[in-house]
Amino acid sequence: MFKRKIASILLIVMVVSVLSATQLVGAASNSTQEADSLNRPSQQDATVSFMVSGDPAEKAAYETLVAEFEKVHPEIDIELIHVADDKDFRTRLGNDFAAGTPPDVFLINFRRYGPFVAKDQIEPVGPYLEQSEVIHPEDFYPIAIEAFTWTDGTIMCIPQNISNLVVYYNQDLFDAAGVAYPSNDWTWEDFLTAAEALTLDTDGDGTIDQYGVGIEPSIIRLAPFVWQNGGQVVTGGNTDPTGLALDLPEAREALEWFVALQTEHHVVPDAEAEAAEESESRFINGHTAMFFNSRRGVPTYREIEGFAWDVAPLPVGKERASILHSDAYCMASATENKDAAWTFIEYANSEIGQTVIAGTGRTVPSLISVAESDAFLDPMERPANSQVYLDAAEYLRIVPTSPTWIDIEGKVNAELEQAFYGNISIDEFLDNANERTAGYFSGAEID
Amino acid sequence: MKYYQRDLWVMLSPYLVGTLLLVALPASVTLYLAFHQYDALSKPVWFGTTNFISMFRDDVFVISLRNSAMFALLSVPLRVLGALLLALLLSQRRRGVGFYRVAVYLPTIIPDVAYALIWLWIFNPVYGPLNKALAVFGIDGPAWLVNRETALLAIVIMFLFQIGEGFIVLLASLQGVPHDYYEAAQVDGASAWQRFRLITFPLIRPWLVLLMLRDIILSTQSTFTPAFIMTGGDPYYATMFLPLVIYEEAYDRFRFGLASAMMVFMFLVLTGLLMMVYLVVRGWGYDDEQ
Repeated sequence: MFKRKIASILLIVMVVSVLSATQLVGAASNSTQEADSLNRPSQQDATVSFMVSGDPAEKAAYETLVAEFEKVHPEIDIELIHVADDKDFRTRLGNDFAAGTPPDVFLINFRRYGPFVAKDQIEPVGPYLEQSEVIHPEDFYPIAIEAFTWTDGTIMCIPQNISNLVVYYNQDLFDAAGVAYPSNDWTWEDFLTAAEALTLDTDGDGTIDQYGVGIEPSIIRLAPFVWQNGGQVVTGGNTDPTGLALDLPEAREALEWFVALQTEHHVVPDAEAEAAEESESRFINGHTAMFFNSRRGVPTYREIEGFAWDVAPLPVGKERASILHSDAYCMASATENKDAAWTFIEYANSEIGQTVIAGTGRTVPSLISVAESDAFLDPMERPANSQVYLDAAEYLRIVPTSPTWIDIEGKVNAELEQAFYGNISIDEFLDNANERTAGYFSGAEID
Repeated sequence: MKYYQRDLWVMLSPYLVGTLLLVALPASVTLYLAFHQYDALSKPVWFGTTNFISMFRDDVFVISLRNSAMFALLSVPLRVLGALLLALLLSQRRRGVGFYRVAVYLPTIIPDVAYALIWLWIFNPVYGPLNKALAVFGIDGPAWLVNRETALLAIVIMFLFQIGEGFIVLLASLQGVPHDYYEAAQVDGASAWQRFRLITFPLIRPWLVLLMLRDIILSTQSTFTPAFIMTGGDPYYATMFLPLVIYEEAYDRFRFGLASAMMVFMFLVLTGLLMMVYLVVRGWGYDDEQ
């Protein structure tokens, strides 16, 4: 009797508190709904959520894109979700998928979309593209389409850009050191000679104040040099890699050259100097002469007032090669209104859509017509030599898109950093990298 | 049923509901997932004890286990000792003692992320105030968070300044020691050390035990923010601690099963550790009834 009473009271309290909580939530959402319905036409609209990351300038460009789209398609309401930071964006995206509430449309890099495809979370846009009267696969740079084509030949997402790795260089520092600007066919030797001439102890106190080069010790920075030397990053192809190929002679030679930039030539900051001030910040502040980055740095670098800068293609080895850095518009398979979502993706990748986004300076448009127009090659905007990104299109390559690739990158990068800063030898790097990544390659059992 | 009992239940119910929903439920789900393969996108698949076996094959997990243990081993005794020394120093009413007490407590109220960012600056190998200060004394400071040898130590050091809570507890416990005891001891000619060893220490022992147990628990959790914000586990996994590994497995790689197994393992180790400490110091007179 006594216990039952307690139990019943407890139950009542629980029920009441849960009820009042739901009422509160309900009331809150009711009031927002009411507010919304005042501003919008009363007919039932299709809503498509669209999630992107980027700085305020990029956010503004996506807002313009959405506004332009809604003018043409008033029946579709785009709910723009903006996450400022890239890493937060990826965490948020993963969690939204895990929670079963992914955004209908989102932008993602080809190195990171594999896990989502493997788990059937991405709705292939290939069939929609086939039907489209606005855009066609051949309107895009082939390498970008290739990066988002799955093993079975289906185009999974529509690439937004063909950003790629180039060298940003400080023209004032080149002038001051009397070094000629990089030409379009400069070699590894030319690059190293310039880097050494631009690495200076300006105040003569024994510590280097100006570095020739800033480059991140990561596999996506190393890969182009491996390719240029005739090597491969992985064995077994990009869709189904079977192991790292960095220990093969051509790849190893490039790896040694890459690591020697720091360990031997000291034209790149060591670990301590890098921790004191990151290379990108050093470049922006005018005391690193050359910085390796994709197109993503341009909106920030355009704000540089202290010096003149431009871009050069990667120095050339035995052959030309650079690496694609492409993001694409993907549709979640959980999307309710897929036609509406496609309509938006199609618009965003039409000439109008890509032109709006190209205005940020952040993207190298994947649509050939927009890339070759003034929307991208605007002579009034820095970098003056934007043609570099487009010339690279024919020799761009990609790293694997397999579902575990991004795990492999993480493991290899941790080891590469050690080798790059001289803590382990090349042999140790290769042993560790092979051992730590073995479980992630094709055929290996992983959880 | 008496009225006050009913009121008691009514007042307790929000916490009961909260504990059920936010602690008991997630804990049971974690236990369930630990024996499953689960990527949050498809249904959990029974996996037996595979997760518990495969986590030990992962070098990074083993390293993080070692790091977390090392962190607890260094930080717990130092933190308790630091709090005790400061409490002893500042327990007497003296001019300006209030100011110093506030100063000791202040770092504790800084939000974790802000605290991590402040220390990231302090530990900057070239521009950081710590190495600049060391340079004044002619000491060439290490590249704290960059060196594999000093990175973990650096995180321990930054935690030594967040001892406000332990300090307050010990300050209160010191004030609970009756003054007559000291007077009597002084009459008998006891030295300061004897007074501490024979009067103060036995009387505040329960509090020291409590703080140690609490700090052991805290040390497993509190490494997350600095590792996540300041180092990302670098250099070369030197600051990779259990919570960060668990977080990365779950939210970066979507291996919720494996992450849950790690969580369960961490919970078991922690429980074992607390029981061990409790057994060892049982003679110290800590008693729940007190």
